[in-house]
Amino acid sequence: MEEKEKEKKKKHRAKHSGPKAEKKRKRYLNDLGIGEEEDARKRNPKAFTVQSAVRMARTFHRTQDLKTKKHHIPVVDRSPLEPPPVVVVVVGPPKVGKSTLIKCLIKNFTRQKLVEIRGPVTIVSGKKRRLTIIECGCDINTMIDLAKVADLVLMLIDASFGFEMETFEFLNICQVHGFPKIMGVLTHLDTFKNNKQLKKTKKKLKHRFWTEVYPGAKLFYLSGMVHGEYQKQEIHNLGRFISVMKFRPLTWQTSHPYVLVDRMEDLTNPEDVRINPKCDRKVSVYGYLRGAHLKNKSQIHMPGVGDFTVSDVSFLPDPCALPEQQKKRSLSEKEKLIYAPLSGVGGIVYDKDAVYIDLGGSHAHENEEEGVRPNHELVQSLISTHSAIDVKMASSKVSLFMDSRPLGSEDVGQEFVMPKEERQIDLKTGRVRRKALFDEEEKKENDDAVSDEEDDQEEEEAMSEDGSDGDDEEDAEEESDEGEEMALGSAKRLKTEVAKEESMSELPAFADSEDDLEMSSEEEGKTAPEENEVEEDDYDEQGTYRNESSDSEFEAVSKGVADSEKYEIASEDREMRSQLSARSLKKKTVLTTDSGNCTAEEASGSEVESLDEGDDEEQSHDELEAEVSNQKQFQHTWIKKADSSRQNKLEAVEAEDDDIENLLREEEEYEEKTDFSADTAGALKWKEDLTQKAAQAFLRQQQSTPNLRKLVYGTAVEDDEHESEDAGDELGGLFQVRRPDKESKEKANALDCSKFLIEKPQDWGLEEVMSSIKDCFVTGKWEDDKDAAKLLEEDEELYGDFEDLETGVVHKGKPAAEGDESENEEEGNDGKKSKPEAEEEEKKKERLDKKRKLKEMFDAEYDEGDATYFDDLKEEMHKQAQLNRAEFEDQDDETRVQYEGFRPGMYVRIEIENVPCEFVLNFDPHYPIILGGLGNSEGNVGYVQLRLKKHRWYKKILKTRDPLILSLGWRRFQTIPMFYIEDHNGRHRLLKYTPQHMHCGATFWGPITPQGTGFLAVQSVSGTTPDFRIAATGVVLDLDKSITVVKKLKLTGFPFKIYKNTSFIKGMFNSQLEVAKFEGAAIRTVSGIRGQIKKALRAPAGAFRATFEDKLLMSDIVFVRTWYPVSIPKFYNPVTSLLKPAGEKDTWRGMKTTGQLRHERGIKLKQNKDSLYKPIVREKRHFNKLHIPKALQKALPFKNKPKNLEKKGKTPKDQWRPAVIREPHEKKISALLNALSTVNNYKIKKARVKHRQQVKEYLKVKQKEEEQKLKRQKEAKKKIYRILGQREKKMQKSSLKGSSEGEKDV
Amino acid sequence: MAGGGGSSSQCLSYAGCNFLRQRLVLATLSGRPLKIRKIRAREEDPGLRDFEASFIRLIDKVTNGSRIEINQTGTTLYYQPGLLYGGSLEHDCSPSRSIGYYLESLLCLAPFMKHPLKIVLRGVTNDQVDPSVDNLKATALPLLKKFGIDGEGLEIKINRRGMPPKGGGEILFACPVRKVLQPIQFTDPGKIKRIRGTAYSVRVSPQMANRMVESARGILNKFLPDIYIYTDHMKGVSSGKSPGFGMCLIAETINGTILSAELASNPQGQGAAVLPEELGQNCAKLLLEEIYRGGCVDSTNQSLVLLLMTLGQQDVSKVLLGPLSPYTFHRSACMSVKLSLILGAGCATTLLNCAEQHILNQARNEGLAGWASLRAGESA
Repeated sequence: MEEKEKEKKKKHRAKHSGPKAEKKRKRYLNDLGIGEEEDARKRNPKAFTVQSAVRMARTFHRTQDLKTKKHHIPVVDRSPLEPPPVVVVVVGPPKVGKSTLIKCLIKNFTRQKLVEIRGPVTIVSGKKRRLTIIECGCDINTMIDLAKVADLVLMLIDASFGFEMETFEFLNICQVHGFPKIMGVLTHLDTFKNNKQLKKTKKKLKHRFWTEVYPGAKLFYLSGMVHGEYQKQEIHNLGRFISVMKFRPLTWQTSHPYVLVDRMEDLTNPEDVRINPKCDRKVSVYGYLRGAHLKNKSQIHMPGVGDFTVSDVSFLPDPCALPEQQKKRSLSEKEKLIYAPLSGVGGIVYDKDAVYIDLGGSHAHENEEEGVRPNHELVQSLISTHSAIDVKMASSKVSLFMDSRPLGSEDVGQEFVMPKEERQIDLKTGRVRRKALFDEEEKKENDDAVSDEEDDQEEEEAMSEDGSDGDDEEDAEEESDEGEEMALGSAKRLKTEVAKEESMSELPAFADSEDDLEMSSEEEGKTAPEENEVEEDDYDEQGTYRNESSDSEFEAVSKGVADSEKYEIASEDREMRSQLSARSLKKKTVLTTDSGNCTAEEASGSEVESLDEGDDEEQSHDELEAEVSNQKQFQHTWIKKADSSRQNKLEAVEAEDDDIENLLREEEEYEEKTDFSADTAGALKWKEDLTQKAAQAFLRQQQSTPNLRKLVYGTAVEDDEHESEDAGDELGGLFQVRRPDKESKEKANALDCSKFLIEKPQDWGLEEVMSSIKDCFVTGKWEDDKDAAKLLEEDEELYGDFEDLETGVVHKGKPAAEGDESENEEEGNDGKKSKPEAEEEEKKKERLDKKRKLKEMFDAEYDEGDATYFDDLKEEMHKQAQLNRAEFEDQDDETRVQYEGFRPGMYVRIEIENVPCEFVLNFDPHYPIILGGLGNSEGNVGYVQLRLKKHRWYKKILKTRDPLILSLGWRRFQTIPMFYIEDHNGRHRLLKYTPQHMHCGATFWGPITPQGTGFLAVQSVSGTTPDFRIAATGVVLDLDKSITVVKKLKLTGFPFKIYKNTSFIKGMFNSQLEVAKFEGAAIRTVSGIRGQIKKALRAPAGAFRATFEDKLLMSDIVFVRTWYPVSIPKFYNPVTSLLKPAGEKDTWRGMKTTGQLRHERGIKLKQNKDSLYKPIVREKRHFNKLHIPKALQKALPFKNKPKNLEKKGKTPKDQWRPAVIREPHEKKISALLNALSTVNNYKIKKARVKHRQQVKEYLKVKQKEEEQKLKRQKEAKKKIYRILGQREKKMQKSSLKGSSEGEKDV
Repeated sequence: MAGGGGSSSQCLSYAGCNFLRQRLVLATLSGRPLKIRKIRAREEDPGLRDFEASFIRLIDKVTNGSRIEINQTGTTLYYQPGLLYGGSLEHDCSPSRSIGYYLESLLCLAPFMKHPLKIVLRGVTNDQVDPSVDNLKATALPLLKKFGIDGEGLEIKINRRGMPPKGGGEILFACPVRKVLQPIQFTDPGKIKRIRGTAYSVRVSPQMANRMVESARGILNKFLPDIYIYTDHMKGVSSGKSPGFGMCLIAETINGTILSAELASNPQGQGAAVLPEELGQNCAKLLLEEIYRGGCVDSTNQSLVLLLMTLGQQDVSKVLLGPLSPYTFHRSACMSVKLSLILGAGCATTLLNCAEQHILNQARNEGLAGWASLRAGESA
């Protein structure tokens, strides 16, 4: 038995492949001693030499081709550093498991279970990635909208059913609007019992999916459900896939800003709504900004609603921020945030002027253990406060007051204070309706001004909040803590300065208005230096920055003074308010060092300032300072009350004064320095008043800096004024803007010239003046790093020593002075040690620099050969990208936003006015709301030319002049396209229908969209049809305004007089003038005779003379072929599906086609009878008898003479043959005879055929024989001739011989 | 037409004829309709002048599908811009302003046409009010090149010289189209390496030009030896209809910055006769003044460079300018109003470089012509 088993045991089989075998082989080779050289190329170089130069060249070309193919045109990388969340759209037919998947994903990432999902859900999925997951229903509107904003599409496919129309529709939509990343997910795989069937289905679906997306596209399998959820591991894997996926930038998305809205608030004044429930609303929407930068006041489109202008944008702290940088690999529980306000998740929601707290309904406390929200404690802590506020609110009368407050006066203030373009900034201070939450403060107020101020303060709060680098949440905590403290009256000190500021700004809410004002003014004074000090610290080295900060400081101070003066003069309410607002503006200028806040008020303020300064300009610097301090003092005296806090302020102000002094002194020094460097050999005299000049220059600069800003914006104000005059009626007559603007009037019609004339040119004869620009020339003095002499010297140092090999002369470089010095220094150092080490280091650094420079030079020289154009381009782009990044990096967001707009990745709040009320009333969070930014003229409407192809899966063809719904750019709209095809000569000929399988052109009246943008067309967005819904796809070709689509028009006429080749035609035109227009036109008859219109006839009207290539007949119809331009119907109707009531959003119907209308109303089309097809009946033609005249007949030869074949006359009756009727017997006989004769005939026929055959064969044989005979004869003849020939030859020979012989013989 | 209201709401509205050119140009570039009221409404002869009318006609020529409505008195203008079309054109400019008046605006528009622009302008080539054609040729074209608008198609050619008041000059301006403009970093003006210039004279003694050159050199030679001023005396047909002379000086730095100054004689029959020596000296002084002002772009082209910067890609461009000319102020202001470039185009930090210089930097583009150019330049 054992033996048997042994036999049975398999022999060991050595491995021939795999890592083990490889290792073994290696070892073996090593043992042999050839293992080291694995590279065959090295081992056997001869085998790899160039065999064929041609082949070599080809391979080289090929590799180069492949390399080049990989290149893309390098573009500047504009992706934001902190990208917005990735938009993941989950799409699929109904009941495929979309919501389940979303829930599972959310649970996977955040460990939270959402019960109901409405709208987008934003989650933090990793250290560097956030996801916004949104479900896409089967409504084609939703599909179109979401395809435009999607970064990643999770395409759910029910494997048990296969692909459905929705899937393909969505894929097609994606293809048209830029192809986002698509990942397929197969669900319902557990329905397959048979494993083989499952495999086959998977494969089939995979390959179909690949043909649609791209070969190798990822298809995910979700095998089965466990407790109504997908398997955890699978979801986890899917999540990992999503969170590492890379996305390709899509052209449309990267060039347009857009927001996928995750929150919407109605800001309309409730009173307005009460008065007119259908009034236009003002809403604010929230979401992450994506794509490009968004500017305030820019145009946007809300698909499904319409076009709007952004009335205000602001950015809010990120509600779902990425975790701080950390070393950990995974996120902590605290960082796994989720934000979905539409679904009621997100804890605290920040607004511009309010904080919303989601209490989670009455079950909030029960869910405590579940919700692991980071700000949970905060929520809890605030709940009590909140209720208290509620109670207060209920009992107070503020709400009433708020409602009744006339909005008009507000508007007036706003209108006056804020010119159009500045509103962007000003709106921050401008009124925004406040949320009820923190409005309790307002109850205490009975003055508009106070509320305004508070606005300002809160604004400041917000700003300081932004400014502080700390965590937003922490900030919020601080803030709220503060609120509590205020409420409780405790006096807990906060540590940071920011907090201090906040508390300061919070205080006035409890004080009376007078105090408030003072406080705020002082506070302003205080905050400004504080800020500036911070700045100074930051930029200690950079004098320029200091200049700036001191500038702003100066400004602030003097402005404050100006304001205070004003305040004394005018104590009216309005004045106060405006002043306050101006002040708040200034506050901002100080805080943000911003340039744009130039309101009318401020302008006046700064005018005062500039006047002051203008006076001061001539005075010495000290005087100015003194005056400033005087003004300060004046301000101080103006302050009546002095409490403890104010004492501090005073100190602060004094400190500030000192600061100014210091700064100015520094400034002076700086000026001096620059001047010294600039001027080399200025006269001593000139040098004397250098300080003064510097001071003057400083003043000038100081003055000009704000002036620069003021000028740029001030003029705009002027422009605005003209408009505001128009808007004067709007103000309701409360305040009229009246202003003596004679000057501006003069200006408005001034000479339009770009030359910059000089008022008083400098005297260029003077030496000083000349020397001031001497350095601008190459002959002047250069900077150290550019001075040729200096550079040469340096070079000498480096390359000085060399030996001329030819002559053998050794050139010694000049003993480098510097180097020697340094050596000496070193020596000296050894001895003295007095030299500071810093200097040494400096020297070292210098040397290193020199080394690096040399290396760079060498590198540049060495690499030059490799650097291609592509590399250069790439490098350039990279540089630009870095520059773009660096330019605004050091500025805070507030400032940055003003320069570059809101950058993608920010969480923004966008206010929109004049939104139809239905948008708010019928708001359904299940439907996505998108704000798509429009390019500059994308808001315009005009003619657009497209290239269009009917979709091959769409069953009908499209008809010209039938309304069609297009999705183009952000928009969905109904329009009436006209189809055309381009003829070979470039003519655009109108088509009645789209061709079946061909592209055609289309023109419509609609929104201007850039060329190259894709679009798709559907005939209806309402309801669902079993058929494919996408009717056509295509691309925008042109935006030409002159439409050239033409339609053929044939004008017909009839000849009324025919000469040889000339005919007179009538009925084609109506007047001589018309004819004159068509002179020379080619005409044609139906029978094909071509001709030309010559000239009009006098009568009848419209008749003309025409020549033809042949004579016409009177029955001919003449026609001229003309082309008639078609006018494009100006019909543009945006699809407003979002305005439909909930549940009916997918029932939007626009204009109906005539066919639909007819069908609905049962109207039958009246057809033109002539257009109907009828069977063609052709009459037989009768030709008349040929008549030959008798004379001719006579002349004809007999052959051609008509024979007188007279008609046989009727046979007379007697000649009629009687009919023979046979007897039966005879019949039989005849039948028999007949049969016999038939047989006989057959026999004869057969015999004849046979005979013929025989004859044929006989002939064949005969022919053969004949041929043979001929052959024989031929041969015989040949023989004979040959013999004959020979004989003749012989004869000849013999004759020749014979003659001789003969002679001989003779 | 539910959504059609969007386009009308953004109609721009102004009063007064000031900056008419800028307004029209910017409206055309941004594609927004424009309404200007009260054009010289209070003056004795109200309404548009002939040169303005001529300018509007020119705008109409280079565009396709624009609508222009002017009321009877000419005090109100409504302009709905069409597509910038370009092509080969001719235009007779009004002799009351020089061709420079028209050319300046064409320089702004030309790169954004659908077809390359090739236009023949007839009228006054040099006068005292507007930048002359010589000047623009020497300064604006290199500037355009910096933005990537170059190639064979870019040229200004003076076929005939025409002086005011009668004119009779003719120039050819050709400009290729570009899809995108390159951002520029132009903050180092560099040192002036040479001074070039043209002294022209028509229908006067050819000696005038030489006299101007002499005197200008006298001043400039104190600074730089490399000076060459061409004399351009035109005769016969190409000398236009009126006599006159003038000079245009150009200072070029090692970094390619070009500063210019120019002067022309008084038109015939207006003002006192000017000595060519005096003119030459004054012109040289103007050039020195221009150098004193500094910057990488001279004062005539400030607005052009700002406009091109804003119309470029979404990249940061930097340029160093001298003190801003009033025209530039208005341009930037206009831009901010019209194109809502408020802060994008606005000025930012001011650095003190030498006595009287400002850096006007950071014109962050607006993406406006990101696609304005796309629209015009692309022919898919």
